[in-house]
Amino acid sequence: MTSPFSNSQYPIYLHLLLLLRFSSLDEDCTLEKEEGLVEEEDEIDQFNDDTFGDGAIDDDWQEEHKRLAELEERKNDGLGGLGLGGLGMGGMGGGDSSTVQLPPPASREGGGGDLAESLAMLILGADPAIASVGGPAGSGDRSTGLPPPPSMPQQHHHPSQLPSHHQLTPSGLPPGPLHPSLLSYQQHQHLLRRGGAPMQQMNSHNIWENNMGFGPVSVTPGLITQMEDSPLMSIIKEVGLPNRPPPVMSEDGRDFSERAPPPRSSSPVIGSPPVRAVPIGTPPKQPMSHIHHPTTVHVRAPVHHQHRYPPSFPERISPNTLLNMANSPLCRPPFPAGVGPVLSQIQRAQMLNSQVAGFPRGCQGPPLLPGGGGFRPFFGQPPPHRMGPHHNHVPCPIIRHNTTHLHPQHRRMLTQRMQSRGGYRGGRVGDWRSRDPYSNLMTQREKEWVAKIQMMQLQSTDPYLDDYYYQNYFEKMEKRQERDRDGVRKEHTTKLITPQVAKLEHTYRPVQFAGSLGKLTVSSVNNPRKMIDTVVTSRTDDEEKREKQVWNKRRQILYTVEKMYSLLLEVQDFEKRFMQTPEEQRETLLEQHKTHTLQLYASLKEKEWDDRVSDEQCLLIMSVRKGKRLISRLIPFLPPLQAATVVMGIARNLHALAKKDKQDQALCWLVEPVAVVISSLSSAALTDLLQELQGSEGQLSKVLQNKFGVTLLYLILSEGERMQSSDLNCQLMDDNRWTELVFSVTRELLNVPPSSLSPPLFTPPNLLSLFSRYVDRQRLELLQEKLQISALSR
Amino acid sequence: MTIQHNTGTLPSQEKHLVLLRDGRTLIGFLRSIDQFANLVFHQTVERIHVGKKFGDIPRGIFIVRGENVVLLGEIDMDKPCDTVLQQVSIEEILEEQRLQQQAKQETEKAKVTALKDRGLSIPKADNLDEY
Repeated sequence: MTSPFSNSQYPIYLHLLLLLRFSSLDEDCTLEKEEGLVEEEDEIDQFNDDTFGDGAIDDDWQEEHKRLAELEERKNDGLGGLGLGGLGMGGMGGGDSSTVQLPPPASREGGGGDLAESLAMLILGADPAIASVGGPAGSGDRSTGLPPPPSMPQQHHHPSQLPSHHQLTPSGLPPGPLHPSLLSYQQHQHLLRRGGAPMQQMNSHNIWENNMGFGPVSVTPGLITQMEDSPLMSIIKEVGLPNRPPPVMSEDGRDFSERAPPPRSSSPVIGSPPVRAVPIGTPPKQPMSHIHHPTTVHVRAPVHHQHRYPPSFPERISPNTLLNMANSPLCRPPFPAGVGPVLSQIQRAQMLNSQVAGFPRGCQGPPLLPGGGGFRPFFGQPPPHRMGPHHNHVPCPIIRHNTTHLHPQHRRMLTQRMQSRGGYRGGRVGDWRSRDPYSNLMTQREKEWVAKIQMMQLQSTDPYLDDYYYQNYFEKMEKRQERDRDGVRKEHTTKLITPQVAKLEHTYRPVQFAGSLGKLTVSSVNNPRKMIDTVVTSRTDDEEKREKQVWNKRRQILYTVEKMYSLLLEVQDFEKRFMQTPEEQRETLLEQHKTHTLQLYASLKEKEWDDRVSDEQCLLIMSVRKGKRLISRLIPFLPPLQAATVVMGIARNLHALAKKDKQDQALCWLVEPVAVVISSLSSAALTDLLQELQGSEGQLSKVLQNKFGVTLLYLILSEGERMQSSDLNCQLMDDNRWTELVFSVTRELLNVPPSSLSPPLFTPPNLLSLFSRYVDRQRLELLQEKLQISALSR
Repeated sequence: MTIQHNTGTLPSQEKHLVLLRDGRTLIGFLRSIDQFANLVFHQTVERIHVGKKFGDIPRGIFIVRGENVVLLGEIDMDKPCDTVLQQVSIEEILEEQRLQQQAKQETEKAKVTALKDRGLSIPKADNLDEY
């Protein structure tokens, strides 16, 4: 590697280098293309190049760095070993030089020995010549050549983790922190086969996965050989990388695309069938059955199966253990979740049956379960003669493990029968097998699985109920045997002990998170929950009637209001229509209009001859919000007299209406039209109005609580004042009524507590002058304060 | 319990015979089953029996829906085959079958007319009517 620098510049740059080293620790400086070793010049990763290589913007910095790195390398060579400055990282090619510094303090603390090793490795990496120093045990990361420093702390874990490779993780990928390095390991494997060219890419992958963002690390050929030597590598080669079968099989060019149905969408786990990767109807996945059936021929299906169903369990578990594991997910598929424990009991019983019955190793004899002791008395002596014919062939007649509870006599008969037939055929089997390529399309597991499903239906909690004759038959047989043997041998006096079906937890307890109110209810096929709480409130007839009445009345009012509305709308539209219709028809239209308005008014009246607005009707209508709105729209259209009566009616009933209106203050809509009406009132009428408003004792106070009431009052008063002030001949003062009324009003206003006095919509300005007429100064001031009337000059 | 036995042995070493609900007899290598007793037959042969004669029609691969299976049994190839049945060609057996069906129909018709004459009418039991 030629360096553009002469030796004279070396010390200066060294200094700079040191500075850079310490400063770049925090920075996220991803390094440009590595340099250092000539071999990699050709193998620069394209990606790397574009981002940080020649395509990068900041050229100067790169060159600078390159130079420094080279210097560093040379310096390292000079220093050798473990000098601080020369942490051989520089030799790693490069770019690392600045950042490489830190084998993070963790590794230093992690153990001096490891550190030494890793450093030694680094140095090794730098110079192939030194490669012979030896591979330390922790050289897990050889794939990347010199492992970038962040992986150094991982090297501690490496030796411990790598042996665990053959406990394969289901994902098929190495666990956590080793991820980048092991990935590259795999890649490295490829490399070993294919050569060093793609190395850079992998390295860059490694880098991008690496948070620290170190530059790509070069791998020298010397390193490669060294890696091959490492014990770790050998382990991995031996054990095999945790590849999944699919990649291997896909290499064969088979098309599995349309094999499997799409998996069902998962349901929440709580209370529902377990989430499964494979649909429920599917037979079990084929295990690596070649281990156990060395003679069987696998054609397409087994391979397919392996691909189809993602292994939810470690692949190396034998089908035996799979089947026998009560918890095995694949054992469960045919059964509802609840049957599991039952199965296990029965399973155990059956297995022990077969166990004690003495199946040879060649069969898939299940391992003895710890619970077996209890079932011992269940059997008699295992008949020894059964061992004989079975040794030859693998597929021995197996009593299903998970079958229902057969009477031991029954089982014995079955096995005898099978043996006799199996033995007969034993010789020919091998011959057949070689000729029929389609045999064993169903694996043993699948057959057992189907059998299991079918046998499941035969499980019973009450054998005497379900199969009375069977039980009786065998009972009789037992008795017969006892009678016949009668003390000669006790072995055959076996009793049928029915395993107790475990009581399952059927009640669903809803999940409740800590600190939350209420429970999370998940409803599914297994635990249907009611989502809506429909509580039946049984009401007595009286109550119902009353409620009905109330509703009916309300409905009626609304109905009336709506009818009036339709009339009102027509009245409102009259003008528009009037404009549009030609002259001749205007007369009729006018007539129509008049009738409508009359009708409207009439509807407010109770009796036809009485011109007063019916209190009841008015109340009813006004009690409904819609009604209030209606009235407010209606009043402008009424002839003045009628409008006045309406307003009178309102005033009269205001105390009652005010109570109802508390919430939404809909009465306030009435202010405008009422104001208009008031302004057109005569003084007598005005007085009347005020009187109406006051009504009986205590009425006014209620009125005052309502916004509209207060506003109305003010309106009246201000109108009166206006009349008085404007028209000197006002008749208002003619009788004392007005004065009296005003007096009482003021009295009331003063007495009423401020809280119950509702603020009006607006305060007419001349109120003050009004009050000043009637009350003395003191009271005036009080009033002023209370009503917040601003003092205006007269 | 058939399955119990079979799971021990290799399937499709011996042929199986299945009788279907419509009366057909299929013989072939049983390749696969499932929990519904759906069957996959390989190198199936439909055997038609008419009287003492029978004929085999090769059918290839059959998939039988489980609900249509009446019974299924293993054929023991080793047992000495001492039947009185004689195998004939396909055309012949089909012809025989046709004749047989015809004869049956005629007798049925005769029976029905006879009953009708006497004022009785027995409803014809349809083959496909299960319930």
